[in-house]
Amino acid sequence: MITFNKQSKQQLINLCKTRNICLEGNIIRVINYSGDTEFEEYGKTCLEKDREMRKKRLEITKQIQFKNSELEKLNQENQRILEELTESLKSVEESKIQYEVQNRELILWKEESEKISLELQQEMLKSEQARVDAENAKNTAENDLDVLQKRTQTQLIERIVKVSLGVILAVGFITTIMYGIALFMEKDTQIIGSTWANMFGILLTNAFSIIGTIMGVKYASKET
Amino acid sequence: MIESILLVDDEDLFHLVFEDACSLLEISLSLQSVNSSDEAAKMFKKWYETSSKEKPECVFVDLNIIGSSFDGIELIRKINFEYGNHVIIGIISSSNEPEEQAKAIKAGAQFWIIKSDDIEPRLEEFRKDYEGYKNRTAPFKIYK
Repeated sequence: MITFNKQSKQQLINLCKTRNICLEGNIIRVINYSGDTEFEEYGKTCLEKDREMRKKRLEITKQIQFKNSELEKLNQENQRILEELTESLKSVEESKIQYEVQNRELILWKEESEKISLELQQEMLKSEQARVDAENAKNTAENDLDVLQKRTQTQLIERIVKVSLGVILAVGFITTIMYGIALFMEKDTQIIGSTWANMFGILLTNAFSIIGTIMGVKYASKET
Repeated sequence: MIESILLVDDEDLFHLVFEDACSLLEISLSLQSVNSSDEAAKMFKKWYETSSKEKPECVFVDLNIIGSSFDGIELIRKINFEYGNHVIIGIISSSNEPEEQAKAIKAGAQFWIIKSDDIEPRLEEFRKDYEGYKNRTAPFKIYK
């Protein structure tokens, strides 16, 4: 314990009374106050003031500590949000790059598609032209065939007509000669005459029939 | 009243809180605070080598001391098993992990005070139990 002399004690007491300056801290607790009532009072006053000051300081320190911990939590939360934002930004950047690449690919694909489409159109035009050419060729061929068929038919008809007419004329001519010879030689012409007339009638009928048939065939083929 | 206390804690504000609380509760008049376990270990090594009487009577150690190469439990182990015993030592931390408490007991801790805004009632309770720690008769206790 520290013991002060009377003069020092009085100086300390006066300092406290006149200028409100007192001892503080743990030194107050290691001073010997016994034997002097006034100095004991001084000691009590110093101790009381020190307690009050420490209480205040403790309270303030606790508040600062509490605010610090709150700030620390907020800082951690901010850090977390910042990290999330950074991650999101990174993700967005990556997506942007990906979109750009995809976009470029799409543009290339579009250009390629347009090129192919153009080529296809050209090919279609060519194909259409080829189809038209083929159609024309087909029509020409059909026409040619038709013409050929008609010509053949006509030739056939002509031949048939000629042959038929020839046969008719020949039969008619022969029968007529035979009938003339019979008349000239004054032979019985009853049979040959009726035969000739009969024959001639048949031949004439047949000739018309042939001509009618030919005309019918010709008309029918013309319709189709 | 405890002769002298050493507080090892990385939080400077807690040094002030602890100092004021100890003074108000008249736990100790002599209090020294350091904010690194390395520094505390050096001090104990020096006191051990010089057989100094400056060694504190009681040591309060934080569990996680930021900026130190080892934690509070390792410091307790070092003080107890490398630099001689004869100090009352324990943890003062906001953590209440049973696993850590088991490790602390193994390292030689005698108490575990949980830090909070209202530390005074716990220190008051600790002061009442202090004689038991001094005589090595009190069991490991957690002050919640």
